[in-house]
Amino acid sequence: MDAPIKRTGAAPRALMLLLMIYLLLPLMATCIYAFARDWQTTVLPERWTLEWFGGMFKDLRFMESLWNSLYLCLIAVAFSLLVMLPAVFVITVYMPRLESLMKGLVVLPYAVPGVVAAVGLIRAYSSGPLNIAGTAYILLGAYFVIVLPYMYQGIRNSLLTVSAGPLLAAAELLGAGRMRAFASVVLPNIWPGVLVSALLSFSVLFGEFALTNMLVGGQIQTIQVYLYHRMGESGHLASAIAITYFVFILLLSALLMKLGQKVNGGLKR
Amino acid sequence: MSVYLELQHIRKRFGAANVLDDVNLQIREGELVTLLGPSGCGKSTLLRCIAGLADMDGGSILLDGKDIAALPPRNREIGMVFQSYALFPNLTVRENIEYGLKMRGIDKTARRRRSEELLAVVELTEKRDAYPQQLSGGQQQRVALARSLAVRPKVLLLDEPLSALDAQIRKNLRAEIRAIQRQFNMTTIFVTHDQEEALTLSDRVCLMNKGRIVQEGSPEAIYTRPRTEFVARFMGSYNVLSRQDALRLFGRVERAAESYAVRPESVVLLNGRNEPLEPGRRVAEGIIRSMSILGNVIRYDVEAADVRLTIDALNDGRSLPLAEGSPVLLALDEAQLLHLDREGA
Repeated sequence: MDAPIKRTGAAPRALMLLLMIYLLLPLMATCIYAFARDWQTTVLPERWTLEWFGGMFKDLRFMESLWNSLYLCLIAVAFSLLVMLPAVFVITVYMPRLESLMKGLVVLPYAVPGVVAAVGLIRAYSSGPLNIAGTAYILLGAYFVIVLPYMYQGIRNSLLTVSAGPLLAAAELLGAGRMRAFASVVLPNIWPGVLVSALLSFSVLFGEFALTNMLVGGQIQTIQVYLYHRMGESGHLASAIAITYFVFILLLSALLMKLGQKVNGGLKR
Repeated sequence: MSVYLELQHIRKRFGAANVLDDVNLQIREGELVTLLGPSGCGKSTLLRCIAGLADMDGGSILLDGKDIAALPPRNREIGMVFQSYALFPNLTVRENIEYGLKMRGIDKTARRRRSEELLAVVELTEKRDAYPQQLSGGQQQRVALARSLAVRPKVLLLDEPLSALDAQIRKNLRAEIRAIQRQFNMTTIFVTHDQEEALTLSDRVCLMNKGRIVQEGSPEAIYTRPRTEFVARFMGSYNVLSRQDALRLFGRVERAAESYAVRPESVVLLNGRNEPLEPGRRVAEGIIRSMSILGNVIRYDVEAADVRLTIDALNDGRSLPLAEGSPVLLALDEAQLLHLDREGA
């Protein structure tokens, strides 16, 4: 080789390439299929069209399910933020002995499979004082539990990285009340990190299917439930939906990474 | 001078352990007192109790004639500098310094004036608009110092402020802290585990162990007259000899005590047997086991009568040509044999 700096050997490169092809090929095919009109005997489609995308956006149910997903996830994340931010703050800074309990509590959603959780929830909430099975409320409750680990870890790590304890102590000794100290020196510093975990939670909820379908599938259509129902009708349409969804998540992830860089950069500087 | 800050019978338990066990301390206005001790001795906890950041199980804190033990931290008029600096990363240097003034509702012009004053004191005027992350560790700690001084606290608490810094910066900042403390006549408590730091900085040193102050006094007194074995071992590389050791080494010892401490620099090495002996001098034979040059001092590890002794000699080119394994004579003034009390007495 005459290249002065040899970065990576040929074998790892080939392996990477293969892996990329393996991962991206289905996506490429789906993408092409979403734009194809006639695609039978040729390698690439004979004619292209935007018909499937047009039909999708014209379908009121698609727009409605997208909207459903959007506002349900937003409300769930906002609610989680509202509860978890003060809770995790108090536990991390003032009651570190409760941390082990929280750590155990927070991984429980992983331990219970979605289907089991759904059956249990429906049983528990379909009678008695809290008869909310099949409504958006039970879904919001379930969403809250699903994002618990992400929110807890994210907020806790942010608090530890900025050493919220000493910051708060310093502010209090300088004459600030606890609330004011929290608002002026803790919140601005953990905000980027908290935002990242909120966005992560949002994208997790956006892609949630099993629990949603079982809990409220008959009553409320989220984007995932809608996608599932229309999958059988037309491959082209399903591809178009999948691609739209993929682009949406891609944009969200890009935003996440950008924010993450900002958090790390701010600390490194 | 009268007492300015007084700690009375401070007690704190953590589970079954006594973290602070009846601590009493009186500090005069403008005095710099260090709390010195190994980690876990309770010195930082004591500081946090004074600041109001930790609860006490008993005792009172009188500051300027007023009991502040029940007050929240923000009403205690106490400034504190932390080992981790604890600067607010979202605020500039100037905003950090002005934070306390802002919380007290002081108007902008007055805040500006005060922060400029303090920026000049800590020599960071040029950095006023920088963010803490853009400063070096030493600079950050100077900002933290300025920030706590800005509100004119009655007492300044420094919790191992130099421990996170490089050796050279540590020495410079140490001198700077002392100069600023004198300039403002600031009543200061300085917590450290570094005995050299405590000796160079303080008006008074309080050596703590297991939640108690075991000895307090001027740096001079605490270094030259340790009262217990713990103090002797902590304050320097004192040789601690039991009574039997001392008898075996020197034949007879005038005053009876549990144990004795000998400073490494107070033993003199002689290589001839026929040098004249001054009265009151005790002599023993020994063998050099190892030696190391510490710079201005050569440190010998000498074995004599089954006792290992650390002996320091000035590295001024006039020391004896001694090698490892060579026999020597040790000479010691009986007055340099310090009597130690039983531990805890």
